[in-house]
Amino acid sequence: MADTKLITFKVRRYDPDKDTAPHWEEHKLNVHDGMTVLEALHEIKAEQAPTLAWRSSCRMGVCGSCGMFINELPMLACQTQVLHLNTDVVTVAPLPNYDNVKDLVPNLEPLIEKHAAIKPFIIHTNSKEIDEPTGEFIQSVEQRDEYSQFTFCIKCGLCLAACPTVATDPLFLGPQALAQAYRYTVDSRDCGLQERLVALDAFHGPYQCHMAGACSQACPKGVDPAFGIQMLKRTLVLDSIGFGKKESQVSKVMPLADVVKQIEEFAPPPRTVTK
Amino acid sequence: MRETRLWTWHLLAIPVIFVLLGLHFAVQHYAPVFYGVSVEEARSFEAMIERGKDMTQFVLYILLLIAGLYHGLYGTRGIIRELPLSPTLAKIVDWGILLVGIAIFALGTYVTWWTFSHPGA
Repeated sequence: MADTKLITFKVRRYDPDKDTAPHWEEHKLNVHDGMTVLEALHEIKAEQAPTLAWRSSCRMGVCGSCGMFINELPMLACQTQVLHLNTDVVTVAPLPNYDNVKDLVPNLEPLIEKHAAIKPFIIHTNSKEIDEPTGEFIQSVEQRDEYSQFTFCIKCGLCLAACPTVATDPLFLGPQALAQAYRYTVDSRDCGLQERLVALDAFHGPYQCHMAGACSQACPKGVDPAFGIQMLKRTLVLDSIGFGKKESQVSKVMPLADVVKQIEEFAPPPRTVTK
Repeated sequence: MRETRLWTWHLLAIPVIFVLLGLHFAVQHYAPVFYGVSVEEARSFEAMIERGKDMTQFVLYILLLIAGLYHGLYGTRGIIRELPLSPTLAKIVDWGILLVGIAIFALGTYVTWWTFSHPGA
């Protein structure tokens, strides 16, 4: 068996039915190389604290459920190896800037509400084509690259927990929603900026961003929301002075027959390994 | 595009302030460098009144007043509105800032006009 190290976990506990305020509990655990904070919490729950509550699912950094405040930084518990923290004491608390439901469970409703407010879906003027598609909206690789990184967002909410503006202004839309607003606005298939302006062209929109960049540092998927917010500001300013997206810049529909023909004509790259 | 326009003007005010404040400094604080007169001479009441009667200076100072006030008060509004305020209180802050801006603008314009229309020392 691999070498282990005794680590003290200071876990913040809070049960709204019993406690008037959160408190800290200490648990000692032998941690082996490669063990994640999430695995450690599972062991603590199994052996020492059966009522400990948190939210998790996929265990591989995809679902975004296990965001926690680990050693004072927002991280995914499933992606954080305990020994990589290089400390004998690991503190685990619920994400800040959210209400605390129980123990390590944050209330992520504000994240979802802000996300919904910016209408995170393709809005096209040709609604008939959306409802009854006759083909596909054609998009070049360059057009896709403009928003590609923002599609990696898993809605874990770490960026809002890291954001100093959200800490002082709970109504601020926050890095997640604003980066997604940019993601959809810059998409060549989208014409929905005017509909999004209700949320974006307001005091608590992108102009409240202090450009701290903490959101980009916290993102476990390598998304750069701080960059997205600055690009969104540029998009909004250009739109306000009449240099917004033109009709000619919106993706055209390619009839399905042509799409099929194009796929059939597509030649795969030559084999690099012979049979 | 309400907030976008307000924010754009906030940014546009920066180069305006930079240029006009630069001119102000050149005339008043760096007079020995640019005009070959002492700082005391450049700042004297007579010299101020004399310069103030120039239409270009009058217009530029009014522009500096507008740009400085707008930039400063929009920034102040941003700081205050970041506090958790009720919608009513937020509106009071907005209107309060606007009224303060109008009052300071009126005072600044009066002083600049008084200098412009002064018969001289």
